[in-house]
Amino acid sequence: MKTMDQVLQDWEAVIGLEIHCELTELETKMFCGCKLEFGAEPNTHTCPVCLGLPGALPVPNKAAIESIVLAGLATNCDIEKHTMFYRKGYMYPDMAKNFQTTQGPKAFAMRGWLDLDVDGKGAEERVEVRDLAAGDEANGATRTETGYTTHIGITRIHMEEDAGKMVHLGGGEGRIDGATHSLVDYNRAGTPLMELVTEPDLRTPEEARLFMQKLRQVYLCLGISDCSLEEGSMRADGNISLRRRGETEFGTRTEMKNINSFKALHDALAYEICRQAEVLEEGGTVVQETRHWDPATKRTISMRVKETADDYRMFPDPDLAPYDLSDEFIEGVRAKLPELPDQKVARFQRSWGLSAYDARHVIEHRETTQFFETAMAQAGPDAEKFAKPLANLIINDLAARMNADEGFDLATSALTPARALELLGLQIADTISSKQAKEVLEVVLAEDKDPAAIVEERGMKQVSDTGAIEAVVDAVLAANPDKVDEYKGGKTGLLGFFVGQCMKEMKGQGNPKLINQLLEQKLQ
Amino acid sequence: MSSFDYSALSVDDIRSGLAAGDFKARDIAEAALTCIEAADASINAFLQVTPDAAFAAAEAVDAAVAAGKLDTLGPLAGVPVGFKDNMNLLGTRTTCGSRMLENYESMYTATCVQRVLDAGGLPMGKLNMDEFAFGSSTETSAFGTTKNPWDLERVPGGSSGGSAAAVAAGMTPVTLGSDTGGSIRQPASFCGVVGVKPTYGLVSRYGVVAFGSSLDQVGPFARNVRDAALALNALVGHDDKDCTSQPCSTDFTANLNEGVEGMRIGIVPVFMTAEGLEPEVGEAVLGAIQKLAAAGAEIVEVDLPNAAAAMSAYYVIGPCEAFSNLSRFDSVRYGFRDPGHADLGSQYEASRSGGFGAEARRRIMLGSYLLSAGVYNTYYYPAQQVRTLITDDYRMAFGECDCILAPASPRTAFKFGEISDPATMYLSDIFTISINIAGNGGMSVPLGLGSDSGLPVSAQLICPWFEDEKMLRVAAALEREYGAAPIAPSYADLTASSGEPAPSSDLGGE
Repeated sequence: MKTMDQVLQDWEAVIGLEIHCELTELETKMFCGCKLEFGAEPNTHTCPVCLGLPGALPVPNKAAIESIVLAGLATNCDIEKHTMFYRKGYMYPDMAKNFQTTQGPKAFAMRGWLDLDVDGKGAEERVEVRDLAAGDEANGATRTETGYTTHIGITRIHMEEDAGKMVHLGGGEGRIDGATHSLVDYNRAGTPLMELVTEPDLRTPEEARLFMQKLRQVYLCLGISDCSLEEGSMRADGNISLRRRGETEFGTRTEMKNINSFKALHDALAYEICRQAEVLEEGGTVVQETRHWDPATKRTISMRVKETADDYRMFPDPDLAPYDLSDEFIEGVRAKLPELPDQKVARFQRSWGLSAYDARHVIEHRETTQFFETAMAQAGPDAEKFAKPLANLIINDLAARMNADEGFDLATSALTPARALELLGLQIADTISSKQAKEVLEVVLAEDKDPAAIVEERGMKQVSDTGAIEAVVDAVLAANPDKVDEYKGGKTGLLGFFVGQCMKEMKGQGNPKLINQLLEQKLQ
Repeated sequence: MSSFDYSALSVDDIRSGLAAGDFKARDIAEAALTCIEAADASINAFLQVTPDAAFAAAEAVDAAVAAGKLDTLGPLAGVPVGFKDNMNLLGTRTTCGSRMLENYESMYTATCVQRVLDAGGLPMGKLNMDEFAFGSSTETSAFGTTKNPWDLERVPGGSSGGSAAAVAAGMTPVTLGSDTGGSIRQPASFCGVVGVKPTYGLVSRYGVVAFGSSLDQVGPFARNVRDAALALNALVGHDDKDCTSQPCSTDFTANLNEGVEGMRIGIVPVFMTAEGLEPEVGEAVLGAIQKLAAAGAEIVEVDLPNAAAAMSAYYVIGPCEAFSNLSRFDSVRYGFRDPGHADLGSQYEASRSGGFGAEARRRIMLGSYLLSAGVYNTYYYPAQQVRTLITDDYRMAFGECDCILAPASPRTAFKFGEISDPATMYLSDIFTISINIAGNGGMSVPLGLGSDSGLPVSAQLICPWFEDEKMLRVAAALEREYGAAPIAPSYADLTASSGEPAPSSDLGGE
């Protein structure tokens, strides 16, 4: 199999996403008064409506409709004032009525978009923009200093109800094959679920991953869902097809359902790109089907071949009158919109002089955003000088730690925003080196002490006394005459060696800036 | 307690008797049970009788009366009421006349039933019906046919046949039924009682097992218009659990004695000349028109140009909604299950084939076909367009009149087995179906006995949306001309004796 990078030289990937998100922050279900609670005893949050008992009728949850209107407004959608709920028929025990109440051709939110800023290694996946100059455009992607931006259309966001949860017993690993019993928990049945459908505007797995991540940020910011991928409150279906570069017709697509991590979304799509290319290049045809991503083998596996389209027998739900949203209601919801991620990025650039890249990465997590905002509010008159170092601390140290260690909770860690400022203050004043700062950070987290106290206690203060440093520099140069000759002969890369030797002599406490300066002077 | 003629008591009589101490609610409940026992052996209106629930409700009424609080009780205080068996009542089975739900126990109580209980009504039991309300004769019930009290060889009509027959035989003064295409008005007509299908949205559907959600409406059967109006007072009003239900604060008894002078009564010429309308029914309706005219009403002809398409639209919309509503009966959580299947698909198929009767299967298959891809746009969508046209027809017609008078059924009660062809059976509802399509209120009012058959004949009154008090006012005027509905002759004497104090009754005290 070719690598994805090789494939994408000749082929264009066309990707669309359907992203489901449960409105977990609501008190009650979509069409009844049952409580929404993850992890309760099975079938304890049920009633005649969500159990589909004979005679029960649905009543729409107004708060859920407010949430989806919020989501629509935050993703630049038009809000449809006149919509209807539909019944989508399918016989399966996880849906007690044997139909799902959803929306028809018109959803509450239609025709929206989100812009994506793609940077870092992920931006490399978009081969056609790699060699462009900043500001130039190719295929809807505009090159920036750090990557590129692209515009992703949102077809619609509609409201539906979630199904119950099935557990199969007696078979292997809870699978239905070979199972002797199936249990159903209807606690989840009737949970309000938003389904967002994108236009087929995504071109790389990285864009798909970033889109889902950005959408998650928006939803979290709106406070409408916990967006937990682990618990399944947010999940994605990815559709992907390939076409030869320059071609405008779509190829045959495959679909991956219920993907529950950003990495899996990326990797499944990347695998499909390579697999489909191989099929096509060998003269075969891609079969339209649902495929399952197996993270263990890092492959997608065919689930079933769709010989005929499912017939859901959709029709307007006669128990639910057509839904009319007034301008007053919509404007009332609009007034509740918080500052959205893109607006926050713009404000961080404007107020604190952060780069767009730094600002985007600082707000990647709710916790880091909160941390940054609190620290900057406490930073006093010189706040601006802390902004960039604080962003670096968050992106390089704290976010990395959050990603690597699930147990790490920034909000309750020993590193308070005040301690972060103290730490950065020591670094800015050249009291400690950046290397020492990292050590102090570790100690703060491990021992719950103030940075200044740690520096004091451990005698970690950086030596910035020029005389003392000069003595060490002279000694190091004297001890390595052959290296000095090589340097002077043009091997300037040896500067790092000399710096290292000096730092070693000074037990890591020498000011690296001064060491560099003095070395460069003396080696001229 | 003095002796009383239970079957002759109206709702008002029961209230005044309770107030005067002539009898207790418990005596009424006992009389009703005695009467049901005597009459229902030959009629089979009740699928279940609920003495415990009736006595419990009676006890609460009696306690209130003893405390001098009769005034705080609702309009049905001490009134025995039977419920069509598609209405959930906690502690009863709700079978819908189907093998599928033969052993289904209600997990909750329907709003309409609860409102009867809240109004002081005594729940006497559950009444036979066509399976899932699919039928016009109660012959499709899985639990035997119900006999027409006027002639035991004839059907009581349907689908609310049990509800109509129970009132006609004097078993209870009031019952509830549901009407999707005529299922209250047609059996009321066959059994010679008052039957009201209120405007869609007037009575909550919560807890009533759905047939066609956009067509179904709950309403009362009674032997006189005032009893029906009092029952409506108890039933109507918004219910948080049914978002199609509307608020209502009308007192339906308020205008009953106003007369029809100055009212404009609409006549639809195409109804009066419809094929299949039997002469004795046509004559009786014309007679009613004359009586209303003589009483001072203005008779106007109104046109319903699209009414002829109502039957076609109904047999698209009804089966589509029924298909979807009945899909929940899958044998998994409750209901009939054909045992021993290894996979879900074959369990579904065998259980649904075994649990549903022929008419239910026919409508489910019809709906399944009509909603399928490629067919939807050919039938369902045009049917909804027709629905809009018919609704507009009625709206236009009510610009010219206050109330429409029409036949309720093209003929009087037919014999068991007389109509076996479904399409002919469907024509029983030719005069009632368009009203469900448009959502207006409609009711049957007895016009005495047919000149030919000697069986009850009724007129149908149709009102503008949410102006049901108007048709009740006209019905009351007709009732003054024709008299209140009598108990079917063979049962009048049988049930009259049931008010005798039972030997076990407590005769002490007052």
